[in-house]
Amino acid sequence: MTTSTNLRARADTDGRNSPPLLEIQGLSVRLGGRTILDRLDATINGQIVGLLGPNGAGKTTLVRTLLGYFKPSSGNAFVLGHSLATAGRTVCSIIGYMPEDDAYIRGMSAVRFVRMMGELSGLPPDAALERTHDALTFVGMGENRYRKVGSFSTGMKQMVKLAQALVHGPRLLLLDEPTNGLDPAARHRMLELIQDIAHEGKTGVLLSSHLLGDVEAVCDEVMILKAGRLAGRCDLASEHEVARTFVDLETLPPSPQFGSVLERLGCTVEERGNGRFRVELHADLDIRTLFSAAADEGLGLRRFERTRDSLQDIFMRVMEDDHGRS
Amino acid sequence: MVVRDRAWSAWEGSVTPASRRFLVLTRYALKDVFESRVFLAFYILCLIPSAAALLAIYFSHNTQFLEQFAGIDSWFAKAPNWIFLHLFGWQAMPAFLVAVIATPPLIAADIGNNALQVILARPIGRREYVLGKMVVVFLLLSPITWIPGLLTFGLQAILAGGQWTAENLRIAVAFFVGHVVWILVVTMLCLAVSAWIRLAAFSRGALLAIFIISAVAGRLVNTVTRSSIGDLLHLSRAIESIVLRFFGAAPPSGLPSPANWLTLVMVVLGALWVLNLRLRAVGEIK
Repeated sequence: MTTSTNLRARADTDGRNSPPLLEIQGLSVRLGGRTILDRLDATINGQIVGLLGPNGAGKTTLVRTLLGYFKPSSGNAFVLGHSLATAGRTVCSIIGYMPEDDAYIRGMSAVRFVRMMGELSGLPPDAALERTHDALTFVGMGENRYRKVGSFSTGMKQMVKLAQALVHGPRLLLLDEPTNGLDPAARHRMLELIQDIAHEGKTGVLLSSHLLGDVEAVCDEVMILKAGRLAGRCDLASEHEVARTFVDLETLPPSPQFGSVLERLGCTVEERGNGRFRVELHADLDIRTLFSAAADEGLGLRRFERTRDSLQDIFMRVMEDDHGRS
Repeated sequence: MVVRDRAWSAWEGSVTPASRRFLVLTRYALKDVFESRVFLAFYILCLIPSAAALLAIYFSHNTQFLEQFAGIDSWFAKAPNWIFLHLFGWQAMPAFLVAVIATPPLIAADIGNNALQVILARPIGRREYVLGKMVVVFLLLSPITWIPGLLTFGLQAILAGGQWTAENLRIAVAFFVGHVVWILVVTMLCLAVSAWIRLAAFSRGALLAIFIISAVAGRLVNTVTRSSIGDLLHLSRAIESIVLRFFGAAPPSGLPSPANWLTLVMVVLGALWVLNLRLRAVGEIK
């Protein structure tokens, strides 16, 4: 194990053959007699990676295991080549963590709190102060940074949590439900900030969220957990490039037979009842063919809407597939 | 109009040594403690017994100046023995009050709003966290206990000469070891209480209650059993007995020295256990 760790770390230092952002090898975690993570294997290279899954899937357990709160019962994880088992402190020093729930010291000003967190991560006091101001400016705290954190609104507390996770310049940022409790404007701002952080290219982001829209908006890779196992993964960037295009249509009057007409045209059809269909289009299919087919059948098209495979579709498909397998 | 670069850069400079990082917690906590001017005033008042002892030692060796005040010079001539016998108590009691006033928020403030989960997500473990907080209490109490105690002893040693120093070296040992043991016990109790009770007023009450209840329980057991076995529960008597033995004086406890040490060890271990239970829960998923 030590040799493997050294090799990985050396690869990182040399800058050649860079280790992946996060590599999980057969990671199992048992808590209170229950297996929460079950032989999880994954390699993550994307700059912003979404961690999805239903409640109890093991998302928070995975994040907290990476932080060293829980000891794996078997397996290991590597953050940029540093082993969780043998170099846990190093892993903690290159990770920034923004927890889901409140995390602040009521009587401290935002500047003091974030600076203390920076110093605990190893920044010298002067550098910690400088970077605290940088981080708080970056998240848009303005002069409010001198107020006590206990007096902040939910949105401001979220920004302080993000600043404390960023202040020491982590290589991997773990964000647990970062948009929780935010109004639409603040949520949009938070997502923008996450993209800006990753934009620099030196900080990878692992975003754990229930909100598929948030994940879809910012992530370029998604990992879906179910019952402690990796149920699916998806490269959103390439998925968007090659995403299947659908048409949602509805006939007037409702005609269930129209589905078989579309199938004869070579389309993959999903009947949704009451004359409504979701039709997967092929690249060589002229869209006008659908109108002609409807006219030939004496039907009108009441609704005709182009749509794409959304993350929700992908997520639901993974959940159903996995359910089918189990 | 100010245009800001919205990009965020990683830190690529040097970092502080990991072995000393727990002192960051100590530094911030000490600054918080001394932010209160009332506390600062009380803390300065706690130095008065030690300052008075230093003056008394000085005057006991310079009685010519005091000869003009009838009777006082003869008291000062006997002062050193009396001072050393009582100074420990005059220092230990205010030190306990300082701990009771200053320590309740030490851990409670971090646990209250879950800050501990982001503190422990840094490269700092639970042990270092506790160590950082222990050092706060040690640094807070040392300047009003064993440091002035040893200074007083040092002044007396300089003025009285080598023979007195050689004959009374145990006084210096008593001041140092006695106070360090006292500080350790008080520190562990304060941290354990701070970890469990969020409101400072209740924490202070609980700390006082621990000493009062242990004293009452100890005396009750002694009365019922007509023995000294209850002294095992009597925390303040155990400490007093240990310190007096260091001074070479008769202890108030009827139990042998190991029994008094056992009481202290059990209290410290109990506090550690309670502390561990609380800190281990941080990061647990509800």
